[in-house]
Amino acid sequence: MTASSDIAVAMRGITKRFPGVLALDDVTLEVGRGELHAICGENGAGKSTLMKILSGVYAPDQGQLEVAGRPVQFTDTRAAERAGIAIIHQELALVEELSVAANIVLGREPRTALGLLDQNACERLAADLLAGLESSIDPRSRTGSLRVGDQQLVEIAKALSLDAAVIVMDEPTSALTEAESARLERTITRLREQGRTILYISHKMDEVFRLADRITVLRDGRHVCSVDRSETTPAEVTGWMVGREIADHQFHGQRSPGPCLLEVERLCLPAAEPGRPDRLADISFNVHAGEILGIAGLMGAGRTEVLETIFGAAGDDWTGQVRLHGQPVRFRHPREACQAGLALVTEDRKRLGLFANLDVAGNISLCSLAEATAGRLVSRRREEQLVAGPISQTGVKTPSPRAAVTGLSGGNQQKCIIGRCLLTKPRVLLLDDPTRGIDVGAKAELYALIDRLCREGLAVILTSSELPELLTLADRVIVLAEGRLTAEFSRAEATEQKIMAAATAS
Amino acid sequence: MPGTSISRGLQWFRQSEWSLLLAIVAAVAITAVIDSNHSYYERPYESLRDIARNTAMLGIFSLGAAVVIIAGGIDLSSGSMIALSGTVCATTMLALAPAEMMGFKPVGPLVVVVACGASLLTGFLVGTLHTWLITVIRLPPFIATLATLVGLRSFARALCESGTAALTPTKSALINVADPLFKTVRDNVSIPVTVFLLLAAATWLLLSRTVLGRHLQALGGNEQAARLAGIRTDNVKWFAYCFGAMTAALAGLFYVANESVAAPVNQGRGHELNAIAAAVVGGCSLSGGVGTVPGTVLGAVFLRVVIDAVSKIIKTGADVYEGLIVGIVVVLAVTFAQAGGGPRHDRRLLPGALGLCTIPILALLAGSLTAMTSGGWAGVGTGLTAGLLLICLRIWEYRRRRAE
Repeated sequence: MTASSDIAVAMRGITKRFPGVLALDDVTLEVGRGELHAICGENGAGKSTLMKILSGVYAPDQGQLEVAGRPVQFTDTRAAERAGIAIIHQELALVEELSVAANIVLGREPRTALGLLDQNACERLAADLLAGLESSIDPRSRTGSLRVGDQQLVEIAKALSLDAAVIVMDEPTSALTEAESARLERTITRLREQGRTILYISHKMDEVFRLADRITVLRDGRHVCSVDRSETTPAEVTGWMVGREIADHQFHGQRSPGPCLLEVERLCLPAAEPGRPDRLADISFNVHAGEILGIAGLMGAGRTEVLETIFGAAGDDWTGQVRLHGQPVRFRHPREACQAGLALVTEDRKRLGLFANLDVAGNISLCSLAEATAGRLVSRRREEQLVAGPISQTGVKTPSPRAAVTGLSGGNQQKCIIGRCLLTKPRVLLLDDPTRGIDVGAKAELYALIDRLCREGLAVILTSSELPELLTLADRVIVLAEGRLTAEFSRAEATEQKIMAAATAS
Repeated sequence: MPGTSISRGLQWFRQSEWSLLLAIVAAVAITAVIDSNHSYYERPYESLRDIARNTAMLGIFSLGAAVVIIAGGIDLSSGSMIALSGTVCATTMLALAPAEMMGFKPVGPLVVVVACGASLLTGFLVGTLHTWLITVIRLPPFIATLATLVGLRSFARALCESGTAALTPTKSALINVADPLFKTVRDNVSIPVTVFLLLAAATWLLLSRTVLGRHLQALGGNEQAARLAGIRTDNVKWFAYCFGAMTAALAGLFYVANESVAAPVNQGRGHELNAIAAAVVGGCSLSGGVGTVPGTVLGAVFLRVVIDAVSKIIKTGADVYEGLIVGIVVVLAVTFAQAGGGPRHDRRLLPGALGLCTIPILALLAGSLTAMTSGGWAGVGTGLTAGLLLICLRIWEYRRRRAE
């Protein structure tokens, strides 16, 4: 190991308990100055907790923190920032009502000589940082109006504005498209040229192996190992993460698509505000029973809008035709779509899918609760019987159907939402970026589940911000760019390069 | 399994509700000991009757407030709805039987039923208006019901004055109600209490055992997700706001019976906040999705018991200190609920400059309250003692922090 003066951050013997969970158990981690240190592990392995301790969000129960060789104790995030540690949180922590510039300088606003807020300096600073990320976001736009990917870029710009010596990136690319990720990688390269230390949390092995100098693997709150990148392989790291070998599955083979279930013709969706280009223009495609249709595209290309329009969740001012089983349909409310046999798993699990105030059974049974009634009253016993099916079908790991849904991992929460959809007995399943923020092991399980559902005769439309995911699952891929359909590939024709070229076509 | 039925039984109340029950018992016990008139010993029936009547009247529309809050909304207008409901009831009776009303004679059961029906219908209409303002005009619930809070009371007064001007010799801002049916309700406390308990049982069943109840919770927990899950959120809201307004209308009828008069200027004024307070003390979260009927019932009981206790102990009218008591109870109840039963090890009550400025405010409050109830010198003593104790607490917190 390097000499102690070259260690930027050291965490020794860190233990952290939450009610009922030992989140971190005696974890030790040393990060050299100027190093890019990747931290890998499944969800629940303790990566985010460890980084939250480093950035002052939590105090450790036991253990010691050292920054640049000096022991430190952080009472809050400000203290960590003063010590030169900035964090890009996985869960976005932005004030939606404020402008992009105001979010970036929040709490450290530049002032004029009179002590008033210096609006121009804020916007200049924000514009510089965003230009450094090669982004065209307007610093004056309202943060809440941005798509998730752009919000993530704002979060990154905010952390960079601190000018910190150590930057923690907690899954920064989980909502970014390939092109945005590539831009972020160029930014990381520049930061490293300036001699900054970066702790990088990611599930994506290709990223980790392209960027990292050293790799630390955590599993179940324990430190598994720290190795130089050159001494290991992605398969070995994945094996350490899950504690077992994962086969790299290809799921799309030997499916036999049935009759055409859903046809979409010349779908147009005008802009929400006048003067902007249409959100969707002239989009046609179809999907058969027993087939997975992938929709590729950058953030803001209209992937979510396509699904929401079909599902009756995007207002009623769209034009074009949607045919289900050959019959024209026009849904004005998601309820009508559900009754007709469509189901939507939404893009942003926390904001649009999950009910934190309901338990696991309540989340799964929500759309089909009428089936669990005796007389006109809901029977808890019948509800538990009702949800037992989807729980075992999707493989939700929960101590009991009455457990709090917020206690489950992201992957298991997503399985609950898929289970909710399956209870409505859909014929067409719409999945909007279903594996976002989900760890490798759970992803493989979700892939197997989606494949199984498709083989049972469901028509599946899947969007994803990760191209490998589409190539793993989809039988056909259509590509959107700025609301228009730019290409369609069969599985045999599709490659990442071709899809990227179509997604960036203008 | 034999264990299941026992744990089911315990689940009737959650932990916070058990502590609320304990607090109610403690408040009663303390009053019984401290009250120098010994009202709880010597006139137990009268004391119980007063508390039961007040609790039932507050509880009826607290249930409505709780349902709206659980659905993620807020209804600020229930106090004015109470006034309007009473006025509609009395005006309808005046229109249908003017001679009997002016002569303080019975108007007949049919007229009473029609009048009460008109009041409940008014509740339905107001609830529907709220829903339209919120879902179609897209006003925030706070604004929509703030508008009806001020608007409905004024409307009720105008209705009362023009009604009396048209139907009686003199214009008046109140209408006396002397029908024996209303007198019966006034003299039999069991009627409002029975209505309250039946309504509570029905609401409990609705929230915990029906599909609509689950949809109310889902709507309050995550409105967008509820819509995307195929729930007709606008219809669920419609139910919630109508339930809120109609329970207030029902309470308004009991107000009229209790006071033998419909008085739109003052009846139920400010009581919407008591209802919201009862729901919050009972564990409803104003951000929606969380809350129970047993909690709300206990919250209403607790508020009324504490108000009664204070009026018994310091021997003034209950209404003088009512607002102050409700305020303090809400602060304490929510503080304890957030602390999860015990104070956190690392929490400081008086940090920084804000803590320094809070010390004289709390001391002044304690001192002036004591001065008003027990005389000037006692007030000065209490104020100084409180200030001294708070300064000690501040110093102790400061030293503990330094030591860490």
